[in-house]
Amino acid sequence: MEGINSEIIIVILATGIRLAAPFLLAALGEMFTQRSGVYNLGVEGIMMMGAFVGFFITLIGGSPLLGIAASLVVGALMGLLMAVVSVTFKAEQGISGIGLYMLGWGLSGLLFRLYVGAITTIDGLKPVAIPLLSDIPFLGPILFNQNGLVYSAFLLVPISAFILYKTTWGLNVRAVGTMPEAADTLGVSVQGIRYQCLIVGSMLAGLAGAFLTVGHANMYADNITAGRGFISIALVYFGRWSPWGIMLGALLFSMADSFQSMVQVLGINFPYELAVVLPYVITIFALAISFGRVWGPAALGKPFQRGTRG
Amino acid sequence: MKRVLTVFLTIVMLFAIAGCSNSGTTANTPQKPAESPKAEKIRIALVLPATVDDMAWGQSMVEGLKAVQKSMGEDKVELATSEKLGNAVDAGAAIRQYATQGYDIILAHGSQYQSVLGEIAKDFPKTTFAYGTGFTTGPNIFAYDPQAQEGGYLLGMLAGKMSKSGIVGIVGPVESGDAVKYNYGVQQGVAKAKSDVQTRIAYTGSFNDIVGAGNLAKTHISAGADFLTGSSQQAVGALRAVAETEGKYWLSTDMDQSSLAPNHVLASQVYNWEKVATKIIELRKQGTLGGQRLSLNLADGTIQFKYNEKLADKVPAEVKAAIEQAKQDIVSGKVKVELPKK
Amino acid sequence: MAENMQHLEMLGITKRFPGVLSNNNINIQLGTGEVLAILGENGAGKTTLMNILYGLYQPDAGEILLKGKSVKINSPREAIALGVGMVHQHFMLVPNLTVTENVILGLSRKILVDLKTAAIRIKEISDSYGLAINPDAYIWQLSVGEQQRVEIIKALYRGANLLILDEPTAVLTPQESKELILLLKNMAAQGNSIIVISHKLNEVMAVSDRVTVLRDGEVCADVKTRETSSEALARLMVGREMTRHKREGKSSPGKPVLELQEVFAKGDKGTEALSGITLEIREGEILGIAGVSGNGQKELAEVISGLRKVTKGKLCLNGKESTNHPPIDLIKMGLGYIPEDRMHVGTIPSFSIWENFILKDHHKSPFAKGTFLQNRWIRSHSSSLVEKYGIKTPNLETPTGRLSGGNIQKIVLAREINRNPKTLVAAYPTRGLDIGATDYIHSKLLEARSNGIGVMLISEDLEELINICDRIAVLYDGRIMKVMPVEEADESTLGLLMAGLSEAAS
Repeated sequence: MEGINSEIIIVILATGIRLAAPFLLAALGEMFTQRSGVYNLGVEGIMMMGAFVGFFITLIGGSPLLGIAASLVVGALMGLLMAVVSVTFKAEQGISGIGLYMLGWGLSGLLFRLYVGAITTIDGLKPVAIPLLSDIPFLGPILFNQNGLVYSAFLLVPISAFILYKTTWGLNVRAVGTMPEAADTLGVSVQGIRYQCLIVGSMLAGLAGAFLTVGHANMYADNITAGRGFISIALVYFGRWSPWGIMLGALLFSMADSFQSMVQVLGINFPYELAVVLPYVITIFALAISFGRVWGPAALGKPFQRGTRG
Repeated sequence: MKRVLTVFLTIVMLFAIAGCSNSGTTANTPQKPAESPKAEKIRIALVLPATVDDMAWGQSMVEGLKAVQKSMGEDKVELATSEKLGNAVDAGAAIRQYATQGYDIILAHGSQYQSVLGEIAKDFPKTTFAYGTGFTTGPNIFAYDPQAQEGGYLLGMLAGKMSKSGIVGIVGPVESGDAVKYNYGVQQGVAKAKSDVQTRIAYTGSFNDIVGAGNLAKTHISAGADFLTGSSQQAVGALRAVAETEGKYWLSTDMDQSSLAPNHVLASQVYNWEKVATKIIELRKQGTLGGQRLSLNLADGTIQFKYNEKLADKVPAEVKAAIEQAKQDIVSGKVKVELPKK
Repeated sequence: MAENMQHLEMLGITKRFPGVLSNNNINIQLGTGEVLAILGENGAGKTTLMNILYGLYQPDAGEILLKGKSVKINSPREAIALGVGMVHQHFMLVPNLTVTENVILGLSRKILVDLKTAAIRIKEISDSYGLAINPDAYIWQLSVGEQQRVEIIKALYRGANLLILDEPTAVLTPQESKELILLLKNMAAQGNSIIVISHKLNEVMAVSDRVTVLRDGEVCADVKTRETSSEALARLMVGREMTRHKREGKSSPGKPVLELQEVFAKGDKGTEALSGITLEIREGEILGIAGVSGNGQKELAEVISGLRKVTKGKLCLNGKESTNHPPIDLIKMGLGYIPEDRMHVGTIPSFSIWENFILKDHHKSPFAKGTFLQNRWIRSHSSSLVEKYGIKTPNLETPTGRLSGGNIQKIVLAREINRNPKTLVAAYPTRGLDIGATDYIHSKLLEARSNGIGVMLISEDLEELINICDRIAVLYDGRIMKVMPVEEADESTLGLLMAGLSEAAS
């Protein structure tokens, strides 16, 4: 049994970073949604649709970039649907989210059956080695030899933080999710902000789905997301609705996953049942021991309605 | 407004449910009008945990049944399929419905259906039920049991003899049932071929996570494996990952997956479900509704070992000969492939 | 000054809600630099009127004139643009944003927020009115009084020169209230016009130049403050002569019915909410617990009623230890409890009145025989309670949640007192009730006292405490600052103790 040498460590870290991308994309999207006061449990379904559409458009259009663009569009449409149901009609968010999940699952499977029919592979995104940076010893291959979506996912972390904390829109989002009445009395459109967040968040979920097909598996099969959307929702809580916290959670989870795969592959004597739950256990443990004041969006899950009588 | 919403949600739900569970409930025969109900027409229903086109366990059975249909005549065999019924409770509802509709043979294609079949079969004593992998039978229940370790042994030998890196990687689903049998066979085959070749087994913890399987395959490759294999419907994800790297090979099981990666699938263990299904039909005609355990093995040809034609010349003749010899030895009983002790 | 130009006139305002005529042909005037109080009981239509002015509702009829010009106000945004600012009773502040962020929320039209420039303007505003506030502080770090100042700054920042304050002192300590009144007078002196909505007479008397009294959606009086008195205003507001119930005679307390010895308990957030409370209540006395809410009152009430765990210390009911006993035991031991949240803790809003009456006794005789409810008995019992306590309800089947706050409180009170408790814990029993209902609750608490029940009255209303308690304990930060006989208690001493200043008071 060979020991853990630096090459193995590079593999573990590089894989961990790659695996973090879909979680990061979906969770950052969900963060915006939840920050505005809506939880979208439909992320998994949106990811499935994003995964299918990204795959399908790449298959017929020949370009992964087209596929990615299509996944953003389908994500936006599903976000719009969720917004109509949960913001305009004020349906119970948990239920409508589950409805969206089932819709995404059923529809993606159905479309696959109708328009593709059999398991087919595509040429997806290729890793792009960033010149010079990827030659840095040790770090280079870990950080700078990934595909474009991985870079985008990580770039989105500071971008999201900037949007959330430095822009007017971000301020409105934070206000709407915590105290919609206050935002409303000051002329901020609560519904407008929630629509925008749901659409942006769902676009990112669609992108996360496309990552799975176009940026990773290069194929599509039913239920390809295998629960990753739900894990992303959990990561939003883990990250306390902050982009950096979410990145930390996504990395922790995927690094643990990548590490346990390697442990299994190297035949290190470790029960596989424990290995596969390791990422979950570590994440839950980290969540349990982290403390400090948490300001979740207080209006999360509550449809907004102006008081009927003063 | 509320009412509009309720209606809308209901439609969404119905659509979703239709999409995810019953979309495959289609009779695969052109609908024959009911006026020719010949007594000998056999109606077969198939319940699948995954999809009909999973390029693995489910699809192999579907193709087997289609072959039966073809050889016996489309007007003699009617075929209906329900898919995505991995949850045994949901599957139970479909099975009961098929039984009520008068299907003669109901195939529940998964080991998880054992107990639910046991319940339902009592209520429909004239219907034949079958499920697998399994060995517990009932008066009208057949259990089929592929000896996955036999083909695994031959594939393992092939990998052991051909591997340059000396590492064979297995991408397993969940450590249970068929997967364990298959992996154990591969391990023995590898060891038989070359004692210094390692077999590394890792599991994803899921049957259908193709992304996870692909990732595990990549990890195997980066850790040095050049021959990979694995069972269950998620294996296609691992196969796709293998196909991205030059000089790495995949050995498929359940069915021939070479169409997905013609340059990377070297050989396959293929289940011949046609024979199994034909046998069940025959037994039923003779009045045996169940009670037998049907083994799939190399000896009776229900398990086949197949090279990928396109890559067949990559395998040296002496390797082929050794594998052929091993196959004969297994068939004759000279070599016994061990099963994992439980 | 009042002779100056009229800042605001609302003429013939009528607003109808389904089944209610909330405002009926209301006229009000406000001069520039004037402080106008709009006084009225709950449901008199004050808040509706102000929401119309602030653009939240549209009147069915009537006209609004600002500086002599007729305006139509369709939304808060338009109201703000016209210089109308509102400080709501429940602050409209986002707790996890800073003061500056809250102030500029909804204003910035640029992509990026410019906090620096905003902070400078906030500083200017706060300096010119003496509103000390740190622009970078988070709202949740501020006291209630400071939060109210943020609300005022928010309105001023938007250029408001007409400020509406809805029940502004309801959540303040007496000292904070005094400061606010000074601030409002200062602001008015600088040319701002101010409307204060209130049902508290003393505050109206202290702050306003003029009072408009509303009753049942109509203006029933419009008087200069210095030409009237609290009593006169009370009469106008309630529409009849008021007899205020006060404690009479010395109490003759008997043996202790409730004792707390060095009680510790944790709050909802896991921090210590009660740190060593020692108290004693005797038969036939009312012990008041004064303090700004959030200093352990809720936890104290819950600890006594068995809803919250005591982490350290001892509780005795009627001389028997009751520490951490389940509520059902405490009920059997003679504890009555009027919880803070009468709507959801004290009653079950969707249950009918008779069901709420028997919540604690439905399992035993005479309300039940075995597992069967004795409906006839329950009904006669319930209707006698409804009659005795003057509960206004269509019938016994009405879901409790449909009744007004005062009537719900009467149901809770009737249920608790009728069970003949030895000890009665009442948490904020008159909060949000109008004068009539408040006075009725007071009379019933005093009646309980003369029947030998030991009463603990938790309240923020110092006038109430001084009027009906025998002794007053001040609770601050989970500790009892002092227990004193009511004769020694006055508003300023209590106020300082409530703010945590023990040296100053002693």
